[in-house]
Amino acid sequence: MAIVEVTDVKKTYPLGKTEVHAVKGVSFSIEKGDFISIAGPSGSGKSTILNLIGCIDVPTEGTVVINGQQTSGLKDREITELRHQVIGFIFQSFNLVPVLNVYENIEFPLLLGRKRPTKSEHAQAREYIDHLIEEVGLSNWRKHRPNELSGGQRQRVAIARALAVRPQIVLADEPTANLDSKTGEDIIGLMKKINSELETTFIFSTHDSSIVSIADHVIRLKDGLVTENFRKERTTTR
Amino acid sequence: MQYILIALRNLSRQRRRTFMLGGAIAFGIMVVTLINGFAGSFVDNVGENFSQLLAGHIFVEGVEKTGTREVRVIRDDDVLTHTLEEQQIPTRFISRRSNFDAEIVFQGNTIRQNIVGADWTREEFLRERLNLVEGSFDELTTENELGQRQGLILSKGIADRLRAQVGDTLTLRMRTVNGQQNIGDFRLVAISYDPGLFGSLSGYADLAYVNQLIGLQPGEYQTLGIFVDSISQIDTYFEPYYQTLENRVQVFPRNQGEEGQNQVEALFRAAEEDNWEGVRYRLYTLNDVLEQVQQIVDLLNNASLIILLVLFFIIMVGITNTFRMIMIERVKEIGTVRALGMQRHDVMVLFLLEAFFLALGGALLGLALAGITMFILGLINLGLDSAIYILLKNGYLTFLLSPWQVLLNFSVVIGLTLAAAYVPSRKAAYLSPVDALRA
Repeated sequence: MAIVEVTDVKKTYPLGKTEVHAVKGVSFSIEKGDFISIAGPSGSGKSTILNLIGCIDVPTEGTVVINGQQTSGLKDREITELRHQVIGFIFQSFNLVPVLNVYENIEFPLLLGRKRPTKSEHAQAREYIDHLIEEVGLSNWRKHRPNELSGGQRQRVAIARALAVRPQIVLADEPTANLDSKTGEDIIGLMKKINSELETTFIFSTHDSSIVSIADHVIRLKDGLVTENFRKERTTTR
Repeated sequence: MQYILIALRNLSRQRRRTFMLGGAIAFGIMVVTLINGFAGSFVDNVGENFSQLLAGHIFVEGVEKTGTREVRVIRDDDVLTHTLEEQQIPTRFISRRSNFDAEIVFQGNTIRQNIVGADWTREEFLRERLNLVEGSFDELTTENELGQRQGLILSKGIADRLRAQVGDTLTLRMRTVNGQQNIGDFRLVAISYDPGLFGSLSGYADLAYVNQLIGLQPGEYQTLGIFVDSISQIDTYFEPYYQTLENRVQVFPRNQGEEGQNQVEALFRAAEEDNWEGVRYRLYTLNDVLEQVQQIVDLLNNASLIILLVLFFIIMVGITNTFRMIMIERVKEIGTVRALGMQRHDVMVLFLLEAFFLALGGALLGLALAGITMFILGLINLGLDSAIYILLKNGYLTFLLSPWQVLLNFSVVIGLTLAAAYVPSRKAAYLSPVDALRA
């Protein structure tokens, strides 16, 4: 079942008096539970595609359907709600809230919902956050603020934060770009493990070919066009 | 709750900036609170000092008119005191006084001075209020061979100008109530501190001797002064008292002054102008006398509000610019929280909460600083001879703050700060998440 469907999507940005055609008409679909890499060199349109799937940007042409819902034409309130409920984000520069500690950063997305949690929901959430902290190996760092953590640890917090609302899709824009290769591999390994355990769809962009090889599904981009859409036989550990 | 936590922690991110902004707010609140506090006690202190000076809160003066002859006298006050009791007006003390305008002559020096005749055996508060530099009250009640109590108390300023010392005999020229010239000898028994301008207005002597000199009989007097139990209740007690007396005796009508004319002035004019005969009573209150003081207080309060607004207009510009800067600094964070699912409205709330706590913190600090300043200023004894004695309480500055005034100041400050932060907050909320993340 396709959780993301991208059809004839084009994205054009104004740049001074000219226009930049970042995505020139791409179509693909992503299955639920995929561990998918959007690969390509710098300027190929990877981040733009991720932004469009993440509903933080809108296509100039074409349609993006997330979890069966057409994203174009939604009001800001609705699209924000869709992001909150369905999508988790992992950023290249981690983008943690600097004034919150590890626990609070992970908890943060849970507090953005419109519904006030009941006592039992709150207790469940606490338990789940503790589980996530343990899963990303930061049990001893829960009270630390981002500036007290290494790059790898920050990205682990970002992963846990992205999973806090139990999203169906996690988008990671070059999650290893600011990390050394060993830490980068660990982070991708962690994402893969969570993907297998929770069946969460992970979509990550990278230009690192060694990381691309870990993905089940690879979409290669060049100059805003899909050059390759390759799906491996999915290996399941669940 | 998390938003409050984030807002508070965000404030602590740039401590110096927060301190500067909060400090500016605190300074504004401090200045305004001090003015309000001073204005608050201004009426009370001036009122209290005036009530001591005039010996009462509610005053009744008797005027007897036969043809064109007018005599200021109360010969029988039964109806006046009986009505007081009947109306159950709680009184602390009732003073009975006469006075005359004197020309004091001593060793070639002449000074005009109002001399008040008081019953020293009863007016204990006057003994407490008059602080003596020299002499004592005891000799006021000492009688000479004619049974007269010739003791006189003058303020230091007047005594110095006359070059008179305790023990000297002074000659006073005055007119009787019938307008005849008279002369009397007084012995300067004490010199009091000169509590500013108002202290020099009157000298004090014995009521019986003053009555004798101005041609009144023993037991008669000119002004009945009623001290009620609370200075703030004067008007509440006065109205029924006046209305009841109006039905029993002749009283000068009130509220007949022309626009801008003081009630007391109007009452005195009425005695001169009206075509009437018999005995009439002139009733007025301390508030009538202090009408202009109240105007000064209103002026002070309005001025403080204008100062607050001007100060905060300047501070608002600073706050708006600072929040614009904050927005630029945190643009990526705004993009992140929007991507994570924070609604526009909540982004605005986050910024406005920060502004709210900044204003609240600044205002509380300002209030605390004002409190400390008031406390320190209140410890300084400005002296009983201070030129602003009438504004002081026993020589000390006092401050009285109305909780409503504090609440109003807080509301103005918080409201203006939120208004200043509103535009940048809205701008932050309406940033496109993708643009914010790219910044």
